[in-house]
Amino acid sequence: MVVEKTISSDVLSKYEMVVGLEVHCQLLTQSKIFAADANSFGADPNTQISVITLAHPGTLPKLNRQAVEFAVRMGLACGSEITRYNVFARKNYFYPDLPKGYQLSQDKGPICVGGGIRVKVKNPVTGQPYETTIQIHHIHLEEDAGKSIHDGDDWATQLDYNRAGTPLIEMVTDPCIQTAEEAGQYLTEVRRLVRYLDICDGNMEEGSLRCDVNISVRLKGATQLGTKVEVKNLNSIRNVQRAIEAEFRRQIDVVEAGGRLIQETRTFDAATGRSYAMREKETMNDYRYFPDPDLTPVVISDDWLADIQANMPALPGAVYQKFTTFYGLPDYDAALLSDTKELAEFYEAVCTDTTNYKAASNWIMGPLKGQLTEKQLRDRQFPVTPSQLAALITLIDNGTVSQTAAQQIFGLMANQPNAQPAAIAQAHNLVQNRNTDALKTLVEEVLAAWPDKVDQYRKGKKNLLGLFVGEVMKKSKGSADPKLVNQLLVETLAG
Amino acid sequence: MEQYLTRIDEHRHLNVFTEVYAEEARRQADAVDQKLANGLAGKLAGMVIGLKDVLSYAGHGLRAGSNMLDGFTAQFTATAVQRLLDEDAIIIGRQNCDEFAMGSSNENSAFGPVRNAADPERVPGGSSGGSAVAVQAGLCLASIGSDTGGSVRQPAAFCGVVGLKPTYGRISRWGLIAYASSFDCVGPITHTPDDAALLLEVMAGPDAFDSTVSSRPVEAYSQTQLPSRPLRVGYLREGVDSDGVDESIRAATQRTIDQLRAAGHEVEPVDFSLLNYLLPTYYILTTAEASSNLSRFDGVRYGYRAVTSVSDLVSLYKKSRTEGFGPEVRRRILLGTFALSASYYDAYYTKAQQVRRLIRQETERVFNQYDFLISPTTPTPAFRLGEKADDPLQMYLADIFTVQANVVGYPAISVPNGTDAAGLPIGLQIMAPPFAEGALVAFARSLV
Repeated sequence: MVVEKTISSDVLSKYEMVVGLEVHCQLLTQSKIFAADANSFGADPNTQISVITLAHPGTLPKLNRQAVEFAVRMGLACGSEITRYNVFARKNYFYPDLPKGYQLSQDKGPICVGGGIRVKVKNPVTGQPYETTIQIHHIHLEEDAGKSIHDGDDWATQLDYNRAGTPLIEMVTDPCIQTAEEAGQYLTEVRRLVRYLDICDGNMEEGSLRCDVNISVRLKGATQLGTKVEVKNLNSIRNVQRAIEAEFRRQIDVVEAGGRLIQETRTFDAATGRSYAMREKETMNDYRYFPDPDLTPVVISDDWLADIQANMPALPGAVYQKFTTFYGLPDYDAALLSDTKELAEFYEAVCTDTTNYKAASNWIMGPLKGQLTEKQLRDRQFPVTPSQLAALITLIDNGTVSQTAAQQIFGLMANQPNAQPAAIAQAHNLVQNRNTDALKTLVEEVLAAWPDKVDQYRKGKKNLLGLFVGEVMKKSKGSADPKLVNQLLVETLAG
Repeated sequence: MEQYLTRIDEHRHLNVFTEVYAEEARRQADAVDQKLANGLAGKLAGMVIGLKDVLSYAGHGLRAGSNMLDGFTAQFTATAVQRLLDEDAIIIGRQNCDEFAMGSSNENSAFGPVRNAADPERVPGGSSGGSAVAVQAGLCLASIGSDTGGSVRQPAAFCGVVGLKPTYGRISRWGLIAYASSFDCVGPITHTPDDAALLLEVMAGPDAFDSTVSSRPVEAYSQTQLPSRPLRVGYLREGVDSDGVDESIRAATQRTIDQLRAAGHEVEPVDFSLLNYLLPTYYILTTAEASSNLSRFDGVRYGYRAVTSVSDLVSLYKKSRTEGFGPEVRRRILLGTFALSASYYDAYYTKAQQVRRLIRQETERVFNQYDFLISPTTPTPAFRLGEKADDPLQMYLADIFTVQANVVGYPAISVPNGTDAAGLPIGLQIMAPPFAEGALVAFARSLV
């Protein structure tokens, strides 16, 4: 068994980490970035491969403009400078999952330069919340490689080229991230953004969002950066954070022991929480980048850029803003509802059919969200439709059903998109009794049964009203509209 | 049809075709006859055409003169070839060439050298050697070759036929095996400039599969007439003055100059100051691009794969590529890899790109003054087989006059210009400004 060396907090506090992240997002374009093959996850191996994907002799790439638009969307969302004249370069290396023997990427002049993403973080020591901006160095466009499958066969590596040519953006941050928490919040925010922008499904388990960590340590106050180590194979935000913490400690261990860190690539093993050396970093590898002569430069004209801007989906910040101002929601509601695009859109859909915005928020944050798994939420598998929920809220607001009955109706119409709440209320006897004459009789019966109390009430003991309401409700077997009962009692007692 | 098939049979010693589609060509011919009878035939009805073995034709073998593509069958048809078929041309077979279009003598082929019909002990030029000899020996009416540094024009000159390299981007490269992407052009080899013009008309034009192809409309190149004014013609001074150019060729070029002057045209010598930089620029950039273009031939997905003593991935690559490629291709891959490597990138690749720009600018200046620029196509007539095989530098010099058109992307044509004392063909090259193929062909027509 490996005995974990523990580093004293004194030693730990002498050091700080410097982290930069490289995030790859697979773009949700319909076809690949340089070929017409379908771009989708989970198809049978080698079914989405044309002669272009397989790099048959004589084939040429043809740029998918949608991939460019998606990259620009991300750049605009991050406040990046958009590069107008884009050149694709060949990154040359041999690997069986790379059909052409080079990857089409951007070397000089990435499509988006600069910008940043605002994150809310908690100080790990003090627990104090603070906000900071993670600076984006650049975002560039490139194509994904295929997949090597090493465990499908005992003696051979199998290759699936479906993924080859999937468009990717690679987002590279400055080395400005100071804690694992910041890294985690940044990734959460990136994932939220790509989902809001409809450019990537943000699924780290399936690899449509991938993150590599570059991390070095140095003594606090030092200005020189330490030796950078890259950690790969991180398939969740939590693992990114774990890997950063583990690598931070490992590097301090090495330095404290008087050793020297080497620039290398390590792979993280989520099971053990440790990283292992992979190969000497690409300082050894010469990619021989040069502009791809098969692709003409992509010029993003003013018109095209304006068009992309005009068709930008709303961003989380703007949605939050709208929820607090237009719908008048409290901060808490607005934050929760705008957390995911799916929920925000559902909320807005409900609000097209009701003006009781706060009630809509309560229903979504409570009963609706309570029933949803993360996956159902992402797949928009809501138990009720927005119009069903709006109709239910209207029934409560006009007194047709009580809150309690509404909860029941909500359960009854779940997964029955055609069921009408009003019909369910009728069928299950959940409509409140609003028959004034019938209720008046009940009121009179109750008052007649409690002459003493009536007397006391009339002498000023107004809080006895609750008792009368309760008794009337009991007599109606809960079907009476309490508001109406209240009103009738006050009138009768006054008369 | 039968006459061509018979002639192909009679000329097997020239090693022109790597595969003849005899039965298929007969069927195609019958179908075209039918169409002709019904008045529905296309522009090229009955034209029997051979393809350099670097053009993809679905369902047919594709080898690029290499063992690397052993057993490979094309799965799609090149745009240029498809357009020929759509106009009812008959494809008779595919033709031997230098491996991956790299060479000036057609000696670098896995299928063995092609021989010049004018003298079978001599080379036909390259890399479209088989395509030129096929026309020279009457084995087909026309061939479609490719020209990266002279590979259509130089063999055309050696074989006494017409070779046209169009403007870069005039004909789609979709389906043309890439040698150097920013230089490669598909081009016809024919008996007459008009045939070349007709084929160009059919093959040229926009293509969704090639983003570098020009969207300019295609003109009726075979119908274009020269202006009635006297032409301004520049000639490369070295072409008639340099000791490096064969006496007979200098004399032939001078004769053309004299004739043009006699016909009232303005003909002046041009000193191209960057002439000595053409070949280095060409070889650095084409080998750089080639080193990357040929990376896909790795033994993984198709083509040749080494089987013996392969122990791991690296040895699979090394052995497959060493055994699959011939020496000239390996040499150019190594040169190009070197030129692109980090320590030498700026000294070679970047510098060559800068010089390419300067060459373009100087060429533009020349064409501000002249309608055409003429020169010999080659410094010598066809040389003997094996004569330069061991001297790559001497071999590369065979392209001295042709590479400029590829470096700058201008159209150029080689037309027959007599023979030397031994009866070997001599070629005259004419270069024109971009997209002036119509005028180029018209001028060429006036010279032959």
